[in-house]
Amino acid sequence: MSDSLPPAERLLNLVIALVNTQGRMTKEQIRTSVAGYERAGTAEAFERMFERDKEVLRELGVPVLTVSSAAHGDDQGYRVDPDAYRLPPMELSAAQLGVLALAAEFWQGQTLRTDAARALTKLRVVGSTPSETDAVAGLSPRLHPAGPALAPLLDATHDRQAVTFTYRTASTGEVRERHVEPWRVIASRGGWYLVGHDRDRADARVFRLSRIEGAVRTTGAPGAFTVPDGVDPAHVLDDAQQQEQRTAWLAVAPDRAGALRSRAVAQEAPAAMTAPAGMDLLAVPYVRAGDLAAEVVGYTDAVVVLDPPELRESVVRRLRAAVEMGERLSGGDRG
Amino acid sequence: MAERTPERLVRLLGMVAFLDRNPGVQVEQLAAHFGVTPEQVLRDVDTLWMSGTPGYWPDDLIDFDAGSLETGVIRLTQSRGMGHALRLGTREAVALIAALRALQEAVGPALDPQQRDVMASTLEALTAATGEAAAAVDVQLSVDAAPEVLVAVAAAVGEGRRLRLRYVNAADETSVREVDPWQLVTGDEHSYLQAWCHSARGERLFRLDRVLSAEVLGAGLEHPPGPVRPTFQPADAHERVRIELDGTARWVAEQLPVDEIEELPDGGFRVSLRVASSAWLRHLLLRLAPRVRDVEPPEVAEDAAAAARRALAAYEPGASSSVAGGGLPDGRD
Repeated sequence: MSDSLPPAERLLNLVIALVNTQGRMTKEQIRTSVAGYERAGTAEAFERMFERDKEVLRELGVPVLTVSSAAHGDDQGYRVDPDAYRLPPMELSAAQLGVLALAAEFWQGQTLRTDAARALTKLRVVGSTPSETDAVAGLSPRLHPAGPALAPLLDATHDRQAVTFTYRTASTGEVRERHVEPWRVIASRGGWYLVGHDRDRADARVFRLSRIEGAVRTTGAPGAFTVPDGVDPAHVLDDAQQQEQRTAWLAVAPDRAGALRSRAVAQEAPAAMTAPAGMDLLAVPYVRAGDLAAEVVGYTDAVVVLDPPELRESVVRRLRAAVEMGERLSGGDRG
Repeated sequence: MAERTPERLVRLLGMVAFLDRNPGVQVEQLAAHFGVTPEQVLRDVDTLWMSGTPGYWPDDLIDFDAGSLETGVIRLTQSRGMGHALRLGTREAVALIAALRALQEAVGPALDPQQRDVMASTLEALTAATGEAAAAVDVQLSVDAAPEVLVAVAAAVGEGRRLRLRYVNAADETSVREVDPWQLVTGDEHSYLQAWCHSARGERLFRLDRVLSAEVLGAGLEHPPGPVRPTFQPADAHERVRIELDGTARWVAEQLPVDEIEELPDGGFRVSLRVASSAWLRHLLLRLAPRVRDVEPPEVAEDAAAAARRALAAYEPGASSSVAGGGLPDGRD
C-alpha cells in the first residue's frame, strides 16, 4: 500500500469490509484493519475521517447501519445492510439507458446535476451495452437554475419534514420567517415553486424558490405530516396562477408583434374598447403584469395597451424611465 | 480537473457489479458504457485489484483474469460480495423521474410510437425500482408551440428532413425560411428548434412559440447537426456593449451571455456583452432603464430613449411635449 491511499480507495475498502463483515465492525477494528485508515494518525483524526466517510457513503445511498450490542457494552459497531444496498431487480435495454442519459442531461447547470449523473452510473450496471443514445435523438432539455434551496426542499419533501426559511413576499416586499410543511416542488413557466401548508397562515400556500433568502432548515421529526387526501399540489399552483390571470386589450400595428398575435384569444370586446385607426385590437391573457409590460415595451410604438389601466401605467412608467435614461446618460456630466 | 471522490467510488462499485453480470467485456466497451477513457478503466481495474476485505491477502481481494486482460478483455473472477447494483438515493431517483415525466408530457405526443414506448417503459421501470420518491418534485416543461408546429418539427428532427418555417423574430420581422432541423431544445420557459438556416447560412435557434407554421419538405439534411451549443453564442464580430447597472438588476448577469462582469463596491456591477441584434439590445435597455447607470457606446441608450419617446406619444395623443413631465418611476412592478 502506498503512503496515503486516495479517499475513493479507502471508501471502497470500507464498503467491502462492512458488506462482508460477520455481524458488525467496531471503530477500533475499522481503524486497525481497513486499508487506508492506518495512516489516520491520532484517535481524533481517525474519528473525524471516519465520521466524514460515513456521511459520504450515506449520501451515496450506501446503507451504513449502526449496531449496538448489549454483549459489547456501549461500543458501537457498523455494517452495511445488504438487502437495503441493492437496487431492486431490473434490466434496462440499450434504448432505455439512452433515454436515462437524456434525463440526466436535463439537470445541466443545476445543483441536482451530480445526483442525476450518479443515478445514471448506478443504472448503467443493469443496462445493456452499448447504450443507444439515439433512441430519442433530437431532444435536448434545459431548465432555469433552481438555486440552492432545491436540494434541501426535495429532501424535506420526501422525508415529510417541516422547514423554516426566510421569504420575501413579492407584492409587499415584506421579509419574514416562514414555517412550511413541504408538499411538492414544482418547476413551471420559468420559475421554481414550493407548494405546502403554511403553518402560520394555516392554509395551503405557494412559494417561489428565488424569493427564499438564506438557508432552508428542517424542524421537527421526519414523517411529521401527510399531504391531505384530495389535495393536488399542482392544482394549488395552477389555482394561484389562474387567480392572477387577466386579459390585456392591445392595439397592434398591422403585421407586427407576431408572437403576441399567436397568444391572442378570441373574445368579444367591451363596447368602449376600440383600437386607433389602422391598428388591430387583440385580447391577450397574462399572469404577470411585469412580464407582459416588459414585452410590450420592447415593441415600442407597434403595440399600445388599452386596458387594464395598471398594465397601461406599468408600460408608460417603463417608457418614461427609458426616456429619462437617455437624458441622464446624454447629459454633459459623463465621466 | 480531478474527479471527485464520490463519483469515482460510485463508478468503481458500479464496474464490479456490471462485470459480475457481464463476463468478459472489452476495455473500450466498458469505457464507453461508463463514459470514461480506456486509460481510466485500466486505472480503475488496478484499484479494484488491490481492494478487498481486511487482511488483504490474495484471497481477500477483488480479482480479475490477468491473461484475459492482456488481450484487452476484462473478466472478473472474484467480486468479494460486491456483485449487486447500488440502489438509488432519494434525490437521484427524483432527478431522473422528474426529468422523464416532464419530457414525456411535453414532447410525448410529438414522438413516434416506438420512442414513446421506450420513454414510458423507462419511466415505469424506474418508478417500480424507487417507489414513491418521485412525488417530491414535478417539472412542467413549456412547449408552447402550436400542436401542429410541434408535430411537424418533431417529425422533421426524427426523420432528418428539411423544414420550411414561417417565423417571427425578436425584432418582430416575419420571414419564411428553409432549415435543416437538428434538435428540439425543451425548456421550462421556452422551447427552441436548433437548426441550420439556409437563408442565414448558419446555425440558428428558433423559439417554437414564434414559429407560425412549419411544413416538412422532401429533402434530407445538407448540413448535419454540430455539437450542442448554448442558446446564444457570442461571436467576435458582434458589437461590444458595456452596461453599468445597480445591484437590483443582478439577474442580468445571471441570465445573459455576458463576457465579463465587474463588481463595484456599492453593489452595482458592469457587464460587457457582444450583441448581434440592435433590436434585442434596445429591448434589453427598455426593460432595464431605471437600473441603468451608464452605457457604452452612449448612442445605444439614446436609440432606446428615442424609441421610448415615439411609443409614449401613442399614450398621450397630441401632447408629445408632455413626455418629459412626470416623476421618475421607481421601476418596480
